[in-house]
Amino acid sequence: MTEKNPDKGYVALLGWSLNAIDAVDRFDRRYVVVAPGWAEDYAKEHDIPFIKWDFDRLNERSHEIAQILKDEGCDVAIPLYEETVEWAGAINSVLLKNPRLLSQSMLFRDKSLMKRRAQLAGIRVGIFEEADDKADVIRFLKRVNQTLLKLDGDVNDPIHFKAFDKAGCLGHRVIRTVDDVESISDTEFPALLESHLDGWEFAVEAWIKDRKIQFLNISEYVTLGYSVFVPATPELESWRNAITKEIEKLIEAFDIDFGFIHPEYFVTSDGTMYFGEVAYRPPGFQALELIERAYGFNGYQGMVLAFDPKTTKEELDAFFPEPVKDAKGHAGVFGAYPRRRVVSQMQIPEETANDPYFEFHELAPPLEEKVTKRNAFGTHWGLVHFFGEDAHRMRDLLKKQEDLDFYV
Amino acid sequence: MTEHTAPGGADRLAGTLDAALQRLELARPFAKPRFQGQVLDIVGRLAAAPEGVERLYAFAPRMDAAGLFHGSDYDRPDALLPQLVAGSLDGPSAAATALETASLLRMLAIAKGEVTHPGVHADGARRFLRQVLALNMHRLFGVADEAARARPREAATRALFRFLAEEIGLSDALEALVAEIWRILAQRPIQTGPAREMIVQTAMTLAEKGGEIEGRIGADRLVSALFGPTTASLDDPGLEEYRERLWGMEASARMSEARGLARAMHDTGLVSDYHAAFMGWAMEAGESDLAPEALGLGPTGLGSWRRERALIEALIRVAVTPATPQATLGLAGLLERGLLHQAPIAPALWRQLQTVPTPSVAERLAAAFGWGATPAAHLLAGVLQVLGQPLGVGQGANPTCQSARAIAMWALNDPDRLLHHVAQATRHDAVRMQFEGTEIDSSALPAGLALRAPLDADPVSVLLVPHLDRVYAEMGRLCLGRSGDPHQWINPEFHGWWVGRACHVAVHVPTGALADLEGFLVRFFLSYHPACNGGEPVIHPQPAGVAVTDSSGRFIGWHAIAVLRVAEDREGAMRVYFYNPNNDSGQDWGGEVVVSTEGMGERPGEASLPFDAFASRLYLFHDDPLRPVPVAAPDAGRIGAVAERVRGSWAAGRADLDPGALAAAESRSGGPPD
Repeated sequence: MTEKNPDKGYVALLGWSLNAIDAVDRFDRRYVVVAPGWAEDYAKEHDIPFIKWDFDRLNERSHEIAQILKDEGCDVAIPLYEETVEWAGAINSVLLKNPRLLSQSMLFRDKSLMKRRAQLAGIRVGIFEEADDKADVIRFLKRVNQTLLKLDGDVNDPIHFKAFDKAGCLGHRVIRTVDDVESISDTEFPALLESHLDGWEFAVEAWIKDRKIQFLNISEYVTLGYSVFVPATPELESWRNAITKEIEKLIEAFDIDFGFIHPEYFVTSDGTMYFGEVAYRPPGFQALELIERAYGFNGYQGMVLAFDPKTTKEELDAFFPEPVKDAKGHAGVFGAYPRRRVVSQMQIPEETANDPYFEFHELAPPLEEKVTKRNAFGTHWGLVHFFGEDAHRMRDLLKKQEDLDFYV
Repeated sequence: MTEHTAPGGADRLAGTLDAALQRLELARPFAKPRFQGQVLDIVGRLAAAPEGVERLYAFAPRMDAAGLFHGSDYDRPDALLPQLVAGSLDGPSAAATALETASLLRMLAIAKGEVTHPGVHADGARRFLRQVLALNMHRLFGVADEAARARPREAATRALFRFLAEEIGLSDALEALVAEIWRILAQRPIQTGPAREMIVQTAMTLAEKGGEIEGRIGADRLVSALFGPTTASLDDPGLEEYRERLWGMEASARMSEARGLARAMHDTGLVSDYHAAFMGWAMEAGESDLAPEALGLGPTGLGSWRRERALIEALIRVAVTPATPQATLGLAGLLERGLLHQAPIAPALWRQLQTVPTPSVAERLAAAFGWGATPAAHLLAGVLQVLGQPLGVGQGANPTCQSARAIAMWALNDPDRLLHHVAQATRHDAVRMQFEGTEIDSSALPAGLALRAPLDADPVSVLLVPHLDRVYAEMGRLCLGRSGDPHQWINPEFHGWWVGRACHVAVHVPTGALADLEGFLVRFFLSYHPACNGGEPVIHPQPAGVAVTDSSGRFIGWHAIAVLRVAEDREGAMRVYFYNPNNDSGQDWGGEVVVSTEGMGERPGEASLPFDAFASRLYLFHDDPLRPVPVAAPDAGRIGAVAERVRGSWAAGRADLDPGALAAAESRSGGPPD
């Protein structure tokens, strides 16, 4: 363990993430991991400070864990997963004596509430609706397309279906036809329905302290659910000022004093920005690792700084680099998925293997030969990592991967 | 970004590796596995790039320090085994290949003194690499065989071996290879295929790279023993030409051929194809008087020859063929052991000469040995070899050590019984035995440990092991429900009356805990140590069980062996000489328990350990319930020291059974075995 600074905060990490624990163990803040019992033996074996806790649905026991952490001397709790966001809110409302934090976290956990809150604050959102069953989905699909003056028989504009409380791409489906609706299982309701916007989808990672953005990264999606890279192309980065203003609106709308947010946006061709959703936890798709590869700082350590009430301005200024300018290159990942119905082995395409931007892959060998149909985003079989100097080349390279077979 | 370098080039990959290594270096031990995978992916690609191995070598110390080997067996380089290297390199996993590559390069850095590592000295690392190179000599040549071509990473692996050979020195490696072959052959195995293959590799290396080899490496004798053992075969003329030459020779030249062949055979344990051709020619040409010379017989063998000449000639005609040259050595051994002076043996061999294998037996033999000779000839050759070299029986890569041990012990001690079972199985593809009066017929039983018949063992094993294995398993089944280790009942019934009816086990079978370890050791000393038992020798081979440990002393598994004799070696140290059915008895069991196979008074095929070291790996032995009164008890301090070696190695982590519970368990099973 790195020498810990007793004058700085003591943080609780909610959820088990080896990458996060590794990063924080190397950082100068005291920490404790709060996670389910299955991780306890491992933690003990590796001297990882540990408190056992099952994050089931938030209930009256939330006060119990808040008290345990308070007695332990913790200053703040940091959520690592979607499921621990409201727990962090409940705990922090006790640790920081600020009841507002619990209701704030509830907003982050409900995609529909989140959108309404944003809308009320004057942030532009697309058309959306809650759905409780399949009939709601069909009705929304039809209405959106009527609005677009489509006639029966025309190809529908798609709509997006997102489970209410799932992280990122999990449970995110694109619905084009009534048949698509049939494949949704009843357990995925209630859900949020959104109209489709043609445009540029991107995500933002923002570290916030004292209601100010300390570092803002723009992650460019090449194809949603397949590939992302940082920093973004100069074209997308040219919107940085406008994007910064949007994030500041979010900070006001959601009353965010500190922490880390991960919102998603669309920019349409006329430059209008639409808010998609926002999460109060680290993003998936190894975005923090891409940022580390590009900028050299560890995002989890950045989160600790952003959450710790004892962090100073000097520390923050020294920790975060200057966006874009300080990047050593562009780091990207591609999530590979078999294109064939039957596969026998994983094989990096020669074209990819020989590309100077290719770094390494973390693809799993096929567990079974028959490939199930990909029915939601985010179900890739592993990530392929790239790094290089030219943003456009990176974008085109990632796009190219979609046409290659990683499983044959 | 260095885009102008070749795509996939070593320079760029070295840069990528640098970045991945930084992440691995930073990571806490518990987080390393994930980053190890990333590094290994790049290592594999860098190794395949032109001059990639050289670049990779420069990273070797850093890869080690960063924790690339953390959490795997490679973290203990002192415990790595050269024999396992090829398996990881050629296996299906790219990560395993990359890990092995990194490990070899680290070993090279240690060997060259560029980095130090606890537990491995530069000399040790150099010796390790020499052995690895020796075992992979074929990869240094231009042509890859079919199997090699099918391996996706063969090119990179070859580049790695070329680099290692340059750095370590080819002559060094060859020397190690030759020493390895001599060491294996000194055990006089029946299966000589692997040794022959290594000699071919050596011969090819010498032919292709002879100029680079410094000094004599002792390979000449091995190569000539196979390819040119005599004056008339020195130029490796081919079998037809050789037979022509024999026809045209003076009697004295033929005699000198016969002697040359015998000398090469007894020197090396290898029989040249020319030797087989000579034997066949001598029978055909009415020159069978040359046979005793060509077999290199001493007085006992000559006596056998005179007594049973017709039988021996018949055996040569059927069993010695160019596809079965080693039968010659087996026959020589059989005659020299005087077996033909035992009344049942000659008639039993006549019976075997007349016995036609059933179609199922013939098919099994042909599957294992091909059609270079008839199945009956392969089997007869195998019978001669087993009887002539009883300790040369090996189990192959099969979990059937008990069956292999049974064949070896019968060949040594009960040859007519072995011939009885061989005849049974040849005629009926079945073996029948009795267990405490219950008839067991192998052909009516399901498969035992070996699901299929072994294909990589000697002919007698191919014939018998499937049956013996079933019978052994059935005897085990009949013991179900009895309290105590079933070996105490099975071993005497299975092997013969001469197995001691008392059986001592150091482990309590149901719990795996140690059961009165000190008492077990005292009993072993009293029964077997000449200073304790009044100098009584081991009369019959006795089955015993050892706990095999790896070179770090960690428990691997239970293994069946046979204690053959206990005697002082030349330096006056008391040793246990034993038979190990595994194919190469020379093994390092850790904690300075290194099994010797030659140079410590071993007869060919015997393994040996100092008495106390042997006791420290023993967990089961037999002795007779009615022993002579012991003359001296072993020193308590000595027993304590051996017990400590037990607890520090294979029994690490095993509890000691509570004495009260032990007594209770014994009263349930009708008291102690004696």
